[in-house]
Amino acid sequence: MQFDLDDERAQLKQATRELLEGESPLAESRALMEQSAEGFSKALYAQLAELGYLGLLLPEDAGGAGVGHVGLAAVLEEMGRVAFPGPFLDQILAIETLRRCPGDEARRWLERALGGDVLVVLARAETLSLDEPAQPETRLADARIVGRKRWVPFGAQADALLVTTDQGLALVPRPDSGWNATPLETIDLAQRFAEIPLAAPGSALLGPAATDAALAEVDRTGALAAAALLLGVMERSLELTRDYTVERQAFGAPIASFQALQHRMADMLIQTEGTRAAVYRAAWATDAEDADAARLVAVAKAQAGDASRFVCGETIQLHGGVGYTWEYDPHIYYKRAKTLEQFYGSTRDALEQLLEASGI
Amino acid sequence: MDLRYDESQQAFRAELRAWLADHVTRPWTQELRDPANDADALVELRRDFQRELNDAGFLGLDWPVEWGGRGLGPVEKNIFQEETAWADAPPVPNFLGIGLLGPALIHHGSEEQRRRFIPKMLSAEEIWCQGFSEPGAGSDLAGIRCRAEPDGDDFRIHGQKVWTTFGPWADWIFVLARTDPEDRYGGITFFLVPLHQDGVDMRPLRQITGEAEFGEVFFDGALARRAHVVGKLGEGWQIAMTVLAYERGATALLEPAKNDRYLKDLVTGCRENGTLGRPDVRERIARLLADNEVIRANAYRTLATLAAGRAPGPEASLEKLLWTEHARRQSEAAFDLLGPQAQLATRAHHARPEMDWAYEHLWSRAGTIYSGSSEIQRNIIAKRVLALPTR
Repeated sequence: MQFDLDDERAQLKQATRELLEGESPLAESRALMEQSAEGFSKALYAQLAELGYLGLLLPEDAGGAGVGHVGLAAVLEEMGRVAFPGPFLDQILAIETLRRCPGDEARRWLERALGGDVLVVLARAETLSLDEPAQPETRLADARIVGRKRWVPFGAQADALLVTTDQGLALVPRPDSGWNATPLETIDLAQRFAEIPLAAPGSALLGPAATDAALAEVDRTGALAAAALLLGVMERSLELTRDYTVERQAFGAPIASFQALQHRMADMLIQTEGTRAAVYRAAWATDAEDADAARLVAVAKAQAGDASRFVCGETIQLHGGVGYTWEYDPHIYYKRAKTLEQFYGSTRDALEQLLEASGI
Repeated sequence: MDLRYDESQQAFRAELRAWLADHVTRPWTQELRDPANDADALVELRRDFQRELNDAGFLGLDWPVEWGGRGLGPVEKNIFQEETAWADAPPVPNFLGIGLLGPALIHHGSEEQRRRFIPKMLSAEEIWCQGFSEPGAGSDLAGIRCRAEPDGDDFRIHGQKVWTTFGPWADWIFVLARTDPEDRYGGITFFLVPLHQDGVDMRPLRQITGEAEFGEVFFDGALARRAHVVGKLGEGWQIAMTVLAYERGATALLEPAKNDRYLKDLVTGCRENGTLGRPDVRERIARLLADNEVIRANAYRTLATLAAGRAPGPEASLEKLLWTEHARRQSEAAFDLLGPQAQLATRAHHARPEMDWAYEHLWSRAGTIYSGSSEIQRNIIAKRVLALPTR
């Protein structure tokens, strides 16, 4: 029995930490998040693609890194720590979807996405509440896709969308006239969403039943990945809190020496470490094709969501007034956590999946 | 990462499971419900079961073979915890002897002490209780005042111990007593003291559950032999701490396995009372299931660290807080979701046949106090894991 990462994945994690701390420290990436239209560094994304980060889940014989979900979780934990902005996870999920689609067109887009030449993302939601009807209203007929998609991650910047329709999954390349996207700005500075009206040529990739089956698997990876990002978000939030309260003096002592704050931070650690155990257990079970994997992923997502509310919220609280300022970083993590908690399978969805997988 | 059990561990589990299927003829909850079983009869049933376990080689699993153990590791020990919890097997009466004193003797005891005490501890011929806490020294354990005064080559114990679990049925007690009043930590010595002698008064202490499993013991010149000092004089604190640390994590999978059984009953109960479809009920149950898996995931992490022969890291400090606070939420949920049926005494008419929620609910209030209260656990995390400054 071995819970630690093996050497290969531990080195990957360390290398990712060094890369991100060097190339995407929060002090610099905040400028991108706050001021650029894209919200992320395309150059750094190209570098990540070149280094093989988009192929972490692909087996080695398919040109990937073959480090599985455990390796992906290790990388995402590091990305969570720096509140890494951009569509990394969305691109991974699109790649995971394309891998499950037969046909030359899917393969062509897959190769280009893996190489970082194009940005492909999933476009699924149609409502404002994320409570989606079973059948999408977006229609596919005569090789044209007509409808409206909301919450498309980095949709405005995407080169192609993987769109769910009444006929299953379809691929829509960006029309020459552009997407005509309307930004849906949320509180999270590291994420961009768009609403996109569709009346464009597209091609079918999968029928309805195959789409449901493929996306169920992709969603599982998405939930696990979001939980891993949340783990990094919490880890760093706790570090910020610790550093600040050790530094900050009041009543003639560092405020971290007061038991009321110490116990709060102990609880933050408990929640963070509980999430770590749940995330890596679920990642391992997924790679091992364990019969319990779906249940354990749901556990990890629910735990990470609940825990992040507490940890990121207390980070603001224990920073006091400065925790409520734009200048300090706690709100960056707090807001990041909200996206990761609500999208990629909400806590409510995760709990329902857990019950279902438990036969309840 | 690899969370699989290896082949010999799997074989051990299969062997134990088959043995339990043959030997747990009646689940422990059923024994507890049987009005024919008074408190003494229940202890005898537990003693019998421990004897059977020992004869079959299932005790002292991670102790060296030469001391009556089986020479296996922490993984097998946890498999034992898991399987016996799932089977609702009678709990062994000598859990304090086997859990704490055994390791203390193996790591710090003399050859003679091991030979003298371990076999009878394993066979349940001598039941042990623990004499650490005092009325004035609970969380602040180093504040103990119970003292051992030299008497020739031996010692005489004076003072009081309290919360002595299983004390009323015990034959021996392992005691932390002060041999130097000045030295807070270095003045504490670890003694083995027979209870059946003059100068010892063991009184039962009734708990909020109504049972008197605890005792309080008064020493008034009880004899403690020099040969029954574990380690050297003044090493008591160190020995107690290393033994407690060793034991932490050694039973990591026990609580989540118990919870599996409890949660199954909660789900069954909600199904029976027709509330399982209600969204609020479903959410409550789902969160408990999730929490229990988080506890188990954390336990695997501790276990893997122990199995690699390393001292557990932060995960071990979290363990007790995680499971004791979960236990409270879980039994509160049972009271809420099962309604008054959950409050029925286990022998009452209509009590749930497979689960004593009333007892579990009250007992869950003890978990966050014993073995270092939740507050102390948070202090430990703040100081040792987060390295926060002290005042």
